[in-house]
Amino acid sequence: MLASLGRVMGSHLLGRQLLWGVLGIVVLWLVSRFSSVVLYRLAPIAYGAALALLVAVLIVGNVRSGTRGWFVLGPVSFQPSEIARLATALMIAAWYAGRKDMRFTAGSVAVLVFLIGLPVGLILLEPDLGVALTYLPIALAALWIGGLPARAWVAIGVAGILLAGATWTWGLKPYQKDRILTVLEPARDPFGAGYQVRQSKIAIGSGMVMGQGLGRGSQSVLRFLPAQHTDFIFAAWAEATGFAGGSLLLAAYALLLWRISRTALVAKDRFGLVISTLIGAWLAFQILVNLSMVVGWLPTTGITLPLFSYGGSSLVTTCAALGVVSAVWRDRFVNV
Amino acid sequence: MRLREDMTPYRRRAGLLFLGVFAALVIILLRLFSMGVLHGSSWRKMAENNRLRTVPLEARRGRVYDRNGAILAENRPSFQLLVFPDEMQEPGRTCLFLARAGFGSAADLERLFRSRIGRSMAPRIIADDLSWSQVLKIRSHQSDHPELAILVGARRHYPFGKLAAHAVGYLRRISRSELASHPGLDPNALVGASGVEQLQNGTLAGVSGERKIVVSAIGQQLGVVSEKPPIAGRDLTLTLDMRLQNVAAKALGSRQGAVVALDPRTGAIRVLYSSPAFDPNVFTGHLTSSQWKTLSEDPSHPLQDRAIQGVYPPGSTIKPFYALEALDEGVATPGWTIHCSGSTVLFGHTFHCWRRSGHGVVSMVRSLEVSCDIYYYHLGVNLGIDRMAAWLGRFGFGRATGSRLPGEQPGLVGTPAWVERVRHHRWYPGTTVSVAIGQGPILVTPLQLTRAYAALANGGRLVVPHLVEGSGPDRSTPLGIPPEDLDIIRRGLTAVVHGSEGTARRFKDLPMAGKTGTAQVAHLKEGSRGKDIPWKLRHHALFVGWAPLGHPRIVVGVVVEHGGEGASAAAPVVAAVIRAALGEGPSPVEAAPAAGNTAPRSVGAARSP
Repeated sequence: MLASLGRVMGSHLLGRQLLWGVLGIVVLWLVSRFSSVVLYRLAPIAYGAALALLVAVLIVGNVRSGTRGWFVLGPVSFQPSEIARLATALMIAAWYAGRKDMRFTAGSVAVLVFLIGLPVGLILLEPDLGVALTYLPIALAALWIGGLPARAWVAIGVAGILLAGATWTWGLKPYQKDRILTVLEPARDPFGAGYQVRQSKIAIGSGMVMGQGLGRGSQSVLRFLPAQHTDFIFAAWAEATGFAGGSLLLAAYALLLWRISRTALVAKDRFGLVISTLIGAWLAFQILVNLSMVVGWLPTTGITLPLFSYGGSSLVTTCAALGVVSAVWRDRFVNV
Repeated sequence: MRLREDMTPYRRRAGLLFLGVFAALVIILLRLFSMGVLHGSSWRKMAENNRLRTVPLEARRGRVYDRNGAILAENRPSFQLLVFPDEMQEPGRTCLFLARAGFGSAADLERLFRSRIGRSMAPRIIADDLSWSQVLKIRSHQSDHPELAILVGARRHYPFGKLAAHAVGYLRRISRSELASHPGLDPNALVGASGVEQLQNGTLAGVSGERKIVVSAIGQQLGVVSEKPPIAGRDLTLTLDMRLQNVAAKALGSRQGAVVALDPRTGAIRVLYSSPAFDPNVFTGHLTSSQWKTLSEDPSHPLQDRAIQGVYPPGSTIKPFYALEALDEGVATPGWTIHCSGSTVLFGHTFHCWRRSGHGVVSMVRSLEVSCDIYYYHLGVNLGIDRMAAWLGRFGFGRATGSRLPGEQPGLVGTPAWVERVRHHRWYPGTTVSVAIGQGPILVTPLQLTRAYAALANGGRLVVPHLVEGSGPDRSTPLGIPPEDLDIIRRGLTAVVHGSEGTARRFKDLPMAGKTGTAQVAHLKEGSRGKDIPWKLRHHALFVGWAPLGHPRIVVGVVVEHGGEGASAAAPVVAAVIRAALGEGPSPVEAAPAAGNTAPRSVGAARSP
């Protein structure tokens, strides 16, 4: 895979991603050394720092494809909105842990909405709708874990539909509408909005059972497949390794999510349980949304496949999140 | 953080959440299974189609030569612009780019795209004969426009241009309805649209091939996968003689009309010229709609091949056939005479001779020499219309000649039955009188008329005119006419040129026999002749003649529309062609059948006028 990735991305990108990978492993190991109590204490500080970075990036950040969301330091660039997601999850978990009563009131919902709304609002100012969307699973998981009553979920559902309708009417640009319509009707515009998804589906399907071989998939090598080292990396992988490789990768993700869910269920305290669940929900959301997109079930949104797609800050943040889960796992028998 | 808190509800909810996630992963797995395992091969085929392009390989179209080896139609290399519709993301953008590269306006191009491509995904040639600068512009933007490709193909070229336009014909793109009914055809194929190009399309076209190539997403050609080579079309040699064709065109000049020359022994067409003509080369490139409009709406109808599609009243040129019939049916003998006083009364009407002062005593030979109308009025009345029509049918009038040239008209031989069926009235006896001098419901094509004269010249065989050398066995049919009857007619036609009163006696230096004809277009007032008549109402001038007298090798028929007198307008054209034809000695190939087949015993008699 590395070799084929190298061909596709160029050795320059590959080397850079390997460097990020090493950094990610170091971060994972470092974070996992913290005890969960320290993480709990650090949460408000991390949250405050993240908010500060989000404000700073709006003032001094660099613009990329219309979004003021990057800090560029020499050859390295990173997105504070990625770090802020972990900080927000930590803050929510810490808030849960610090609560006195067990009842979930309208006040609790207000606090949760405020905690998430603050960073999301700042990100929407950049504006980066795609990244803001990745806060959605954290928000929903936080509400779910707190035990929001059924009628409130109905209300959220109705509000969601109304919001979607309003966004469709006033908020979306024509190309975004095209992407959504293409999911409903793939043959609608096979050479315009539907082109990427069509090529992705061809790549996945043409891998058949055992794949065309690494570096030999015609869709990837001849560049019919777009964004094949980022959004559509799974399609490139499935074309090369077939259903066998695709299901293997799927199994690996399932194993990862299984370990996170085990950690959540055996966590000794509320903080460990909530933070593991939130991180699990966030990774599961990215994995499921990205895979649904490459198989043609969801419109292309720019949500990458965690740990697999090219992208430094995303990789390091994911590693840091896994480090937190790992710390919770280490502490499962410790009584503080 | 409190100790020993009750975490059961939280654990339950977290568990449910993760359960939902795993269920979603299983659904994704099923989707992957369906795509890769169940439907993998069809997706693999789509991947192949993605990277494989089928490029048509044109078959070389056969060349066309005249009988002396002059090239009438050939192929020249040309750059063609190929569009791959399945690669085209925005037709509008492609059209704009092509418009900037000098391929005409974007609106025209979009119209062309719609008509040439439509919903089809097969690659199409949309422009031909590209200039170097156009080729460079497309090549330099190849990566932006993978849907475009430059192909080196062949372009049809007609070195003689207008001179052989009608006989050789031209090409057109295959139509969408033809494609729909024959799906196996190459959508880029050119097919003959007229003349020999259409008649012999199957021989000339060959079979196109195709090449499958691997391309990258930006249209870069990476390699050839397979190739089915095209099969070149066969060359054709025509019976046409471009030297004579040229003489005919020069002699006719800018006047409208047609010239046909046949070898009376075989039916080989030596000259097939129609004026005005068009340049067939404009059709092989990219014919714009305005060019087409100019050609098709021209009031002089340059696209019409007057030699086979123009129908004219034969006028006096029809007279020899009635004379021959009268002999054959015993209605008249060579010695039978009438007195021509300039007019005669038949069925209560007065009919005039073209010569108002009259011809005096007229025998059969003299009736042809001076073209006396009164003689034929009486002959026609004595023969009757039904016998006349049947007789004309034997000489091939009223039906196509069998040349199989596209669009050939049958002409018309009117009968009482025909008049009642088409015009819904009775046959007037006076009409028989008109038909007797080649007016009224009798219309002939120049090819028909010339072929009928060939039968008089060759001793009574009706030949089948043909344009392609060696097109099958001799299909001529003997008419069974006694040679002595033919002799009388040939003597009369020789007198037309060599007699002291002959209507074409100014050409007596030529060993030619023939007949003048002046066909009325409109009934003109007494005494109105010549230049004071509007051009559109002037008579058609006709002349048909053969040479040499003893063993005729060539028959030439000429019609000059609104040319006036046959003797002064049409006969000089015939004389020019015959002069040119006789200038060349008979080739050994020609001489051989002439001695065996077409030397009836009576030829010696016909030689003396």
